[in-house]
Amino acid sequence: MHHAEHVMGTVVSIDLADDLPAPVLRAMIGDVCSWLHEVDRRFSTYRDDSEVSRLRRREIDVSDCSADLRHVLEACADLWRETDGYFDAYAAGPLDPSGYVKGWSVEVASARLAEAGSVNHCLNAGGDIRARGLSAKGEPWRVGIRHPWEPDKLSWVLAVTDRAVATSGIYERGDHVFNPRTREPAHGLRSVTVVGPDLALTDAYATAALAMGEAGLAWLAKLTPEGYESAAVTDDGRAFTSSGLPTAA
Amino acid sequence: MRRSTAAAVGTLTGAALIVGVRLSVSAPAVPAAAPPAVDLAGSGQDAPPSKKPSGKKPSNSDSSDADADSSSEGAAGGTGLKNGIFKGTAVKNPYGTIQVSIRVEGGKITAADATYPTTADSATINPPAIASLKQSTVQSQSADVDAVSGATFTSESYVKSLQAAIDKANA
Repeated sequence: MHHAEHVMGTVVSIDLADDLPAPVLRAMIGDVCSWLHEVDRRFSTYRDDSEVSRLRRREIDVSDCSADLRHVLEACADLWRETDGYFDAYAAGPLDPSGYVKGWSVEVASARLAEAGSVNHCLNAGGDIRARGLSAKGEPWRVGIRHPWEPDKLSWVLAVTDRAVATSGIYERGDHVFNPRTREPAHGLRSVTVVGPDLALTDAYATAALAMGEAGLAWLAKLTPEGYESAAVTDDGRAFTSSGLPTAA
Repeated sequence: MRRSTAAAVGTLTGAALIVGVRLSVSAPAVPAAAPPAVDLAGSGQDAPPSKKPSGKKPSNSDSSDADADSSSEGAAGGTGLKNGIFKGTAVKNPYGTIQVSIRVEGGKITAADATYPTTADSATINPPAIASLKQSTVQSQSADVDAVSGATFTSESYVKSLQAAIDKANA
């Protein structure tokens, strides 16, 4: 069963492939959607009444925050250290954990689906994907990576099971990824895709590597022993893939 | 620690070559004229004023205010270079991370070296690791897929995306 939900400023596509009664699948989709809208209400920087906005205005202290937000803040701090400062929730000035929240919320949604009995599903939050089990064809999920210059073409096709696939690129919203070190728009890499076990981290790693520019290639290579494979395209069209990238046959 | 100076860096060989050439031409100019690859300070504007180079050095000498341990600094030599071993900031480039070091004795550079870090952590970003990334040119293809990964689209640009077409086909 498929569903596309407008939420968090993008569209989340939900694809449940389990052989379960339609009402059960519908209820599961409903649960995922309400969770994502809840995340939007609580963590959006565009909503004045969100927990994040209230923390920004110092109306509440970190110790007053929900366990979820404290988790998000700690994860952002860990990622800042792990990425040498290139994943920076404060890159634009005030706290903006959106770069972590989206991936994390979909990771949580996928875990909740699995708990509820959906072990075969694929969630795509605006281009960041968490896939579990097999597709309706009984095969690993086929995930295309958008071509960085041709919107209607793919640069790679992956076959994944129980994997997250996140892509950061400068082609969709212009120069919106900044190198936090220089405060200049990132350049050198046009698109970075990271494949790994956790969408929150794959998303953050892809963003950090893009911000690093071409030095991000060496950094991506360093991630492979930890189970994070990658595919990146430079500004001038050179493509780099790690050896364990799960490309479709 | 990483400065965005990697662009100017060639390979390890290249960097070592630069040092080597400079060494043979004019020793005092080495740390000063060496480009970002051998940014000995790695700290240019961050360095406290007291560590700025003296007037004897070329003006373009961000890189000469080396962040050497004070313990390794000896008496200043006639050329304005301090004795000791000076390690540059580790600089990342597409081929890995390099760190350049020079030894100054009697105000002259007597040795220059460039090394890849060999600690367990950084060993994974040495040349073999970057070589493990396969290089090609970006391919363009159309294929039947279940989902498309790409830079995050907005609610507005979604309608033009491949993912929207997939959702429509499955609706």
